[in-house]
Amino acid sequence: MDINLVQAQVENDLAATSSISELESVRVKYLGRKGVLAELTGLIGTLAPEERGVFGKQVNAVKSKLLDLINEKEKTLKTKGDSVNRSTLDIGLPGIAQEPGNSHPIIQVIDEICGIFNRMGFSIVEGPEIETEYNNFTGLNIPLDHPSRDAFDTFYLKNYSKLLLRSHTSPVQVRAMKTHKPPLAIVVPGRVYRPDAVDASHLFMFHQIEGFLVDENISFADLKGTLGFFVKSVFGEDIKMRFRPHFFPFTEPSAEVDISCIICKGKGCSVCGRKGWLEILGSGMIHPNVFRQVGYPAGKYTGFAFGMGVERIAMLKYGINDIRLFFENDLRFLKQF
Amino acid sequence: MKVTYGWLKEFVDIKMPPKELADKLTMAGLEVVSLEEAGEPACRTGRDFVLEIEITSNRPDWLSISGVAREISAITGAKLKTAQRPKIKTTSLKSVEISVVDKNDCPFYSAMIIRDIKVAPSPEWLKKRLESLGCRSVNNIVDITNYILFESGQPLHAFDLDKLSQQGICVRRARPNEKITTIDGQQKILNNEIMVIADRDRPVAIAGVMGGKETEVTDSTSGILLESAVFNPIVVRKGRQKLGLQSESSYRFERGVDSENAKNATFSAMKLIAELALGKPCAYKSVGSIKPNKSAISLEMRYITRVLGINIPLPKVKQILSRLGFIVKTRGKNILLVNLPSFRQDIKTQIDLVEEVARIYGYDKIPLSLPAVKPHKITSGSREIVSGIKAILRSLGLQEAITYSLVDRNLLVKSGINKDAQPVEILNPLSKEQEVLRFSLLPSLIRALAYNLDQQQEYVNIFEVANIFTAKSASAEEELSLGIALCGAKSFFMKQGLVKDEVTILHLKGILEKLFNKLGIKAYDFIPRPDNQINIIIGQQETGFMLGLNEQVLNSFDIKNKQVILAELNINKLLEYVNLDKKFTGIPKYPAITRDISFVINETVSVKDLLALITASGAPLLSLAKVVDYYQGKQIPPGFRGLTISCIYRASDRTLTEEEIAPLHNSICSLLEERFGIKLR
Repeated sequence: MDINLVQAQVENDLAATSSISELESVRVKYLGRKGVLAELTGLIGTLAPEERGVFGKQVNAVKSKLLDLINEKEKTLKTKGDSVNRSTLDIGLPGIAQEPGNSHPIIQVIDEICGIFNRMGFSIVEGPEIETEYNNFTGLNIPLDHPSRDAFDTFYLKNYSKLLLRSHTSPVQVRAMKTHKPPLAIVVPGRVYRPDAVDASHLFMFHQIEGFLVDENISFADLKGTLGFFVKSVFGEDIKMRFRPHFFPFTEPSAEVDISCIICKGKGCSVCGRKGWLEILGSGMIHPNVFRQVGYPAGKYTGFAFGMGVERIAMLKYGINDIRLFFENDLRFLKQF
Repeated sequence: MKVTYGWLKEFVDIKMPPKELADKLTMAGLEVVSLEEAGEPACRTGRDFVLEIEITSNRPDWLSISGVAREISAITGAKLKTAQRPKIKTTSLKSVEISVVDKNDCPFYSAMIIRDIKVAPSPEWLKKRLESLGCRSVNNIVDITNYILFESGQPLHAFDLDKLSQQGICVRRARPNEKITTIDGQQKILNNEIMVIADRDRPVAIAGVMGGKETEVTDSTSGILLESAVFNPIVVRKGRQKLGLQSESSYRFERGVDSENAKNATFSAMKLIAELALGKPCAYKSVGSIKPNKSAISLEMRYITRVLGINIPLPKVKQILSRLGFIVKTRGKNILLVNLPSFRQDIKTQIDLVEEVARIYGYDKIPLSLPAVKPHKITSGSREIVSGIKAILRSLGLQEAITYSLVDRNLLVKSGINKDAQPVEILNPLSKEQEVLRFSLLPSLIRALAYNLDQQQEYVNIFEVANIFTAKSASAEEELSLGIALCGAKSFFMKQGLVKDEVTILHLKGILEKLFNKLGIKAYDFIPRPDNQINIIIGQQETGFMLGLNEQVLNSFDIKNKQVILAELNINKLLEYVNLDKKFTGIPKYPAITRDISFVINETVSVKDLLALITASGAPLLSLAKVVDYYQGKQIPPGFRGLTISCIYRASDRTLTEEEIAPLHNSICSLLEERFGIKLR
């Protein structure tokens, strides 16, 4: 390289430099171990002895000039700031970051609901999806040959007699109570299965959250208070709630819980079937027969239990109109939550 | 079940409009799901309303106008108008031959023979009543039996007397392969599980479910045998399920009919038949006894308070129960003795009475209180760590998916994952999509991924944590599993602009390494297998695998020109090695010296082996050796790889000098040349 051109070239390079890291590459290019100046210095040995002195001085002069130029550039870059260099960066350009993933909306709702009960002192417990006929039915006071079983249509396993896919999360009540003495305060999230024909509001697999509290003097008033707190935590302070008598084999008295329609605020719309109310929970006082099945002494304990469908709550909460969307796993759906 | 406002009014004084009545019923547990004006708008005469009520399976006594009326009386306090029971002297009548083979199948059976009837269309009022409840009018006799069914809840059946082979009947189980054509025209082949009503020769009705075509009442009928019975609910239920039949009768028998009512219903029907079809009773017989009521239940006020959390005064409790038809006596200051009417077979113990009291008193009057929850140790253990695993995966950009546990068997086969595993089969799937429980999460994740590619997604990165199921000889096993599926090119901005990064198995390895590091899992390794699968070993145990799908599988999912990278891990095995205990290591006091080695090496040599050798021979001054660059392509001969490894030297007690580490570093370089034939660049 022609030594006389070096300075001009450096000036060019520096003009195009807009950051400290770029400046560093310029420094290496010219002043580095294998840089331009090192190359020029290396040439000294190849020259006739009389030329060496002059050339050497020239090299040194260029070198100190370069150092000056680079240092000066460094100073301006540092005071100007790399990140807001207006001449090259437009803040309107897309930001740069790694895209984090999301929890599935069903899992988000489960976590939210379990979190609310957790704050009230409930533990979160899970149970198996393959269950015995006993835990799913008999232990819960559901007779095998009674119309009350119609509500719990169930998938049975081939080759394993009396094993089935749980049709609700309530079997975990039986499991927990068989192995633990009260006081017990537990919520159970999980998958459940029912042979239902598939449409916009029915699927053969969905999620439930079961909860129960057993101690020596738990009352229906406690059930109302607990679910009242829960409903307000999820749907807001203004929500209205009502307990409507119903029948479940494993609770007595039993109640369905309705909330004022979150779409029409109770005036009546298509979502609530013009009733103004939305049914979101089943609940009641645990039937003494269930306590007897798990071996608790008669009359010693009372308790309440409740269960809810997670998809239904998620659909209400997010305004989703087709349950199948949850399991299609379309990224354009999942990324909204 | 449907009831009409007008019909109810015949049984109870209703002083409120239909809408208010509907709300009151709903809040007492008889949920009114629709309330409509009766009849076609064009031909409405007097206004009436139809209420459709969802009756819970424990309350067969509500499956009638009179039952709902009784409830209205209890809720509103309005007086119940008890209809005068028609009296017919049966003592003067001849007997009927009835044989009941098993009393357990049929605890009560009564038959009345009525002659000289005139079968004709029903009068308008009767037609209208039935039609408003959605019941088609047939003729006066059939309509009367239906009318009594809706009004009293007791199903009746009328046989054409002349078409029976004898003037009597037998209640028995069907013989194998006996046949009957039911009134809906279907021929049914029967068996021993099905209870029938038979004459001398053949079954003439499926007991409690449906009558036979051959003995049905027609326009030419002049005499009938009128049946009113109590059948075993379980036998009726099983029989009608077997035959795929359902009727208003079986609906009530399955839930249990009131035996006292069964006796009276015949006489109510007889009265109407005499009025509308001129019939005369000729013979009557009933067999079996009406079950006596169980002994009285004592109800303590203290118990009500304990369960409900509210004090309800004794007189109020007494009033509620009396209005519901219970016979209540006071026993001491705080105890009631409650006798059950025959129609309340659902009441078994004190708690059932508490519900009755609460229901009518009003759930809304019970206050809200918050229970004192005592903390306890029961936990599901792994749930929190699993949540942590999911959070780490999300932070690495993965999206959580949920797919069905039940799948089409073919989906498992075509994915080629875990070829040797046996799926758990479902006995009663509704469709092929619910045939088996999956033994791997990956087939469903591949399907979800293919779906997204179809929707023009360029990059799909999903994971799922769920149970997988395997059929083992002893049991059906269920284990928590983690599945990851990656595909396509991730686009992201760098300073230079948009960069596209095509996923490879190294991306997946990176995700897993980050996961393991965060979980404190140190002893892991990735071991390639001859079939292109890479085993994930944690603490000597095979914990999962990674693989890229081959062309054949990709084709079967219609995935074109893309690589699909998958991993599945057994979460329980993983959890054994999770170590979240943290210990602080001092921050180095002295600076390190970094020396790079750039070289070319045969691509068959594993980088893992290289690093192992460097680490072993660099101790103790070498604190870390890592790959900082690799390259294949121009300037590198085919079959070789360019690599740069950074060696970081550090001593904990002094600043190292170039001179001190030069011999060590050089010896590492020569060792690599010697052992692996590297060529320094």
